[in-house]
Amino acid sequence: MVRALKITIITCLSQHGIKRQHVSDAAKSAKIQRDKKKIAHYRNLTDACLDLRDSHTYTQDAYDKTSKLLEENPEFNAIWNYRRDILESWQSNNKDIVTHLLEELNLSMGLLKRFPKCYWIWSHRVWVLFKLESLNKPQWSTELMIVAKMLEYDLRNYHGWSYRRFIVDNIEKAETSATTTANEDEQILALVKINSKEFEYTTSKINNISNFSAWHNRSQLIPKIYKLFQLLKDKSLFPQLQPIFLSPYSLLQHELDLVKTGMYVDADDSSVWLYLSWLLTDKFFVESFESTQNYKDVLLQQLNIVEELNELEKDDHPKGWDNRWCLKAMILIRTLLDDSPENDDLTKNWLKRLIDIDPLRKNKYMDQLNGKLVIVSI
Amino acid sequence: MALVKEKHIQFIKSLNDDVTEQMIEYWLSEHLRLNGIYWGLTAVLLLQEPSTLDQQEVIKFVLKCWDLKQGGFAPFPRHDAHMLSTLSGIQILANYGAWDVLNEKKQDLVKFIKGLQLPNGSFQGDRFGEVDTRFSYNAVSSLAILGELTKDVTEPALEFVLRCQNFDGGFGMVPGAESHAAQVFTCIGFLAITDNLHHIDVDKIGSWLSDRQVESGGLNGRPEKLPDVCYSWWVLSSLAMIGKAHWIDFDKLEQYILSCQDTENGGISDRPDNECDVFHTCFGLTGLSLMNNEKYSMLSIDPIYCMPKEVTKKFDKWKQSTT
Repeated sequence: MVRALKITIITCLSQHGIKRQHVSDAAKSAKIQRDKKKIAHYRNLTDACLDLRDSHTYTQDAYDKTSKLLEENPEFNAIWNYRRDILESWQSNNKDIVTHLLEELNLSMGLLKRFPKCYWIWSHRVWVLFKLESLNKPQWSTELMIVAKMLEYDLRNYHGWSYRRFIVDNIEKAETSATTTANEDEQILALVKINSKEFEYTTSKINNISNFSAWHNRSQLIPKIYKLFQLLKDKSLFPQLQPIFLSPYSLLQHELDLVKTGMYVDADDSSVWLYLSWLLTDKFFVESFESTQNYKDVLLQQLNIVEELNELEKDDHPKGWDNRWCLKAMILIRTLLDDSPENDDLTKNWLKRLIDIDPLRKNKYMDQLNGKLVIVSI
Repeated sequence: MALVKEKHIQFIKSLNDDVTEQMIEYWLSEHLRLNGIYWGLTAVLLLQEPSTLDQQEVIKFVLKCWDLKQGGFAPFPRHDAHMLSTLSGIQILANYGAWDVLNEKKQDLVKFIKGLQLPNGSFQGDRFGEVDTRFSYNAVSSLAILGELTKDVTEPALEFVLRCQNFDGGFGMVPGAESHAAQVFTCIGFLAITDNLHHIDVDKIGSWLSDRQVESGGLNGRPEKLPDVCYSWWVLSSLAMIGKAHWIDFDKLEQYILSCQDTENGGISDRPDNECDVFHTCFGLTGLSLMNNEKYSMLSIDPIYCMPKEVTKKFDKWKQSTT
C-alpha cells in the first residue's frame, strides 16, 4: 500500500494565533487515545457522504449527513458542493426548496459564528441568497442586519465588509428593479436612502478611528452618494445629508473635520492619515476646486493643522521627536503645494528627520531625498 | 537567533510520520493537503534538503488528487477540483520537472482553468461562482507554468484586476474591497506574470507596502493589524516584484521571522511563541530566502511564482510583445 502523504496544517484550522505548547510524550499518547474514536467517526461520516455523492444520491438522508459533516468541518468544500448539487437536483425535480434554503442560512450562520474567516461558508451563503432571489424570496434586508451583527464581533472582518457591500449592491438592484415601472426619480430616491444609511453606518464605525475598513468604505460611498444626490429632486428629504453633500468642497470640509478629530485622538494611527491622503489627492475633490488658489488654501490650512499637531507631539515625546505620520503628511502637502519639491529645503529637512525617527523605512526616505521617488501619497 | 535548519527539516518530516495520522487534525485538514505539500516541498527545496519528501510518493499523491470529472486537481483524493489546489498540483509537478506524468491531463487543465473565467475577466474558484483576485493569480500562474497563457485570457483578466485597485494603491478581493497585502501579492503577481506592471503606480503601492512593517520588524496585512510571518512573503515579494524591497528593514524582518521559530521542535509560527504549521514555516523561509538566501545557504526564491529560481528560470516567460 502506498503510504499517504500526511503533510498537515494544524493551526490553520483554528485560525492564526494559537499559543505554542510543547506536549509531553504522555500527553501526546493520551491525545492519540482520545482522537481514535473521533477519527473513526469522522472517517466513517466522510466516506458515507462521498459514497452517497458518487452514487448520485440526492435524498433527505444524504442531505442530513452533509449537515452533520459540515458542522464538524466547514472547511470541507467538496461537501458544500455536494450539498448544492442535492438542492439543485431537488429543484429540478420540482421540489419546493425554499424551506431548505432558509435552513442553509441557519446552518451557515451558526458556522460563521464559530468560523468567521472561513471562505467556503461565506461563499455558500452567497449562493443560497441568489437561489432564494431567483425563487422570489429575496433575503437581502435581513442579511444586512445579520452582517451588522457579524461586524460587531470583529469590526475589521475582511469577509464581513465585502459581504456588506455585496448585500447593499443587491438591495440596490432589487429596489431599482422593483420600481422599473415607476419613474427614475423614485429610483434615485431609493438609492440615496440605501447609501445614506451606509454612510451613517460608517460614521458610527469610525468612532473607533483605527477601523480603516470603515474609512475605506466611506471613500467608496462618498463619490457614489454625491452623484446620486445631484440627481435627487427633493434634497430636503435628507436634511442631515443636504449641507454635507452640497458640493465636493462641503464634503471635503466635513471629512477634514472628522480627520482632524481622529488625528488628535491618536496621531500614530495610520487609518486617518491614509484617509487624509485620499481627501487631498483624489480627483473627485481636487478637480472640483474653482481655482488652483482655492485648492492651495485648503492645503495650507491642513499643513498648519498638522504642523501644530506635530509640535504637540514633540512636546509629549520623551526625546522631543517629531511624529512620523505628521511629517509624512507635511511632506505630502508641501509636495502638492510645490511643483519642484526636490529643491525644497524644508521637505528635505523633514525627510532627514524621518530617516532618524522611522529607520525601518529609511531607504524609502533616502530615495525620496535623492529624487528617485515621486511623492504621490502618504 | 540563528536559523534552526535541521529542526525545520525534522518538523516537515514529522508532518509525514505515523503519529500525524493518529491526530484528528490530520483528517480535518484534508481540504488543504495538496497546498500543504506544496508549502512543505517549497520549504525543503529552499533548505536544499529535497529528499525530506519522497519524490515518487509525492507525484503519486498529486495524481491521486486528479478530479476526472472537472479536469483539475482537488486538494485530496475524492475531493473536488478547485483553482487553489490546481495551482498547488501544477507547482509541485513543476518543482520536480515531472511533466511527463500529465500526458493528456495537460489539455484538460488548460480547459478547466480557462473555463472558469467569467465574462468580466474575473475567475471563479470552481463552478459555484466565488470570485476573488486570488483566482486571477492562480489562473495566470498555472497557465504560465504550463506555457499556455494567451492574450484572450490576459486582456479581460487585466481589466478586472485593475478594477480591484484602491486609492491607497493596494488591491482587494473584488472591486470595492479594502486593500489587503495578500490580495496585493496576487494582483502584483498577476501583473508581473502577464507583463503588465507598467499599469500601476509602483511608488504609491510601494509606500503602502513599506508601511506594513511594524516596530517588532514583522509585517501586517492591513493598517492597524497585528504582524504575521506569512506577510513576510506577501508584502516582501510584492515589494521585490516592483523593485522596492529595500523600502523595509531586512535585519528587523529577519530577526522577527527567526524569533517565530520553534527552536525545540522546528517549524515557524505566525507570531513568536505561537503554534507552528507548514504554511507559516514555508512563508517564513521564502521571506528569508528572498532577503538573503546565501546567508542561510538556501536556494534563491522567485518572488513572482514562489518557487526556486532554478525551477522558474526554465519557464517560457510571457511577454506582451511576443504574442
